[in-house]
Amino acid sequence: MHFEDWSEEAFEWLAKESGLLQIDDRHWRVIRFLRSFYAYNRRAPLHRQLKEGTGMSLLEMEGLFPSGIKTGARRMAGLPNPKSC
Amino acid sequence: MAYGDLIYLDNAATSYPKPGECLRRALDQYLRIGGSPGRGSYDLAVEADNIVSEVREELSLFFGGDSRYRLCFAYNATEALNTLLQGVAKPGSHVVSTWLEHNSVLRPLHHLREEGRVEFDLVRFDQNGFVDPGEIAAAIRSNTRLVVVNHASNVLGTIQPVADIGEICRDRGIPLFLDVSQSAGLIPIEVSEWNVAGLAFTGHKALLGPTGIGGLLVSQEVEISPSRFGGTGVDSSNPFHTAEYPYRLEAGTVNLLGILALRETLAYVKGLNRDKHYQREMALLARLRDGLMALDNVEVYGSQNVDNRLPLLCCNVRGRRPDDVAAVLDGDFNIAVRAGLHCAPLVHKHLGTAPEGAIRFSLGAYTGEEDIEAAIQAMSAIARSTG
Repeated sequence: MHFEDWSEEAFEWLAKESGLLQIDDRHWRVIRFLRSFYAYNRRAPLHRQLKEGTGMSLLEMEGLFPSGIKTGARRMAGLPNPKSC
Repeated sequence: MAYGDLIYLDNAATSYPKPGECLRRALDQYLRIGGSPGRGSYDLAVEADNIVSEVREELSLFFGGDSRYRLCFAYNATEALNTLLQGVAKPGSHVVSTWLEHNSVLRPLHHLREEGRVEFDLVRFDQNGFVDPGEIAAAIRSNTRLVVVNHASNVLGTIQPVADIGEICRDRGIPLFLDVSQSAGLIPIEVSEWNVAGLAFTGHKALLGPTGIGGLLVSQEVEISPSRFGGTGVDSSNPFHTAEYPYRLEAGTVNLLGILALRETLAYVKGLNRDKHYQREMALLARLRDGLMALDNVEVYGSQNVDNRLPLLCCNVRGRRPDDVAAVLDGDFNIAVRAGLHCAPLVHKHLGTAPEGAIRFSLGAYTGEEDIEAAIQAMSAIARSTG
């Protein structure tokens, strides 16, 4: 999914697909921060920026999404896949 | 953003921080003698060329080379290994290598095989991460032209029995080349004594130099054709690339600033009591290994002791993706580690950790006890949060 094609419905669909059945404010906080940061900077936030921007620890964030941060939250926010090796 | 408080445990990727005084001295020299080495007869160019020649000699001696060996500079070990493999591959030729290799060997081999220029066999490693020299011997065929072995795995840290493999290769008349990306600067390397025909190295890991400088050490008994062509500063009327070493395997102006920096850091590394440093780092590795193995939900890979190893290890937190664990270590605990396949996909395939890979902790010259304790505490917190 391209960043521009994302919608709240798409997020909810992707969340359900990954096993995330109950979406609350904390999930939205992560998703909205990822999207606003990417829209402004055209890149994903650094770990520290993600932490500051959401007010959450990475550990808490990782626990929120069944498929984690890199391939979970990022994907659900419509960001491109992270560079991995 | 400042990284002053960062606990850096990714020295197998590149050493950090670098010895600043060495790099500053190199820059001062570069600003003074930064002419084009070997490309002019004026004193500046000659002095630059003389220094490059001296560094070739210093590196060759550092690796245990004698007068039979020539040192060709490259950007890094990957480029040096490409130079080697492309230069040896001929239709009908065969190469023996191992499952421990980095993509710097595996990918050139696959490309060359696809082009019909080489066949190859990869020898597996045992449950502790070591290759059996007997299996190397068994894989050698009548058309084998080269054996390439990763001296020390960048995933498991295991140091391979290269002297034993060298003996086999000598008896069979096959050149043995080593990838010493991880080991150079950490443990002694003795190419001549070990019957090793050559090696590929990079300057930016345990040699503590900058990125962008490495090389290929080659015994004169090995025939390697050039795979890149261009200016060398010698034999310019020849329409073909010169056969003269070291220029045969170098095309274009060398990285003088990188060479000067590597000379400085090489002297720095040689000035250290390397055995003492190695023992210190291995004691820290043993502490890390024991600390991680004591944690529920953490799986440590590789041999059950730290003998014949470099100071690195891989592990995973059960039920957690390694890239997310690495993100938590970085974002919450200020600890830098490398997650993934580490450009060595076959090692992870063997371990059963593909495709996500694992988390690698790799120690370095500046790693302290407090860094290891912090890493264990951080991993403990992550493991505890796993249901």
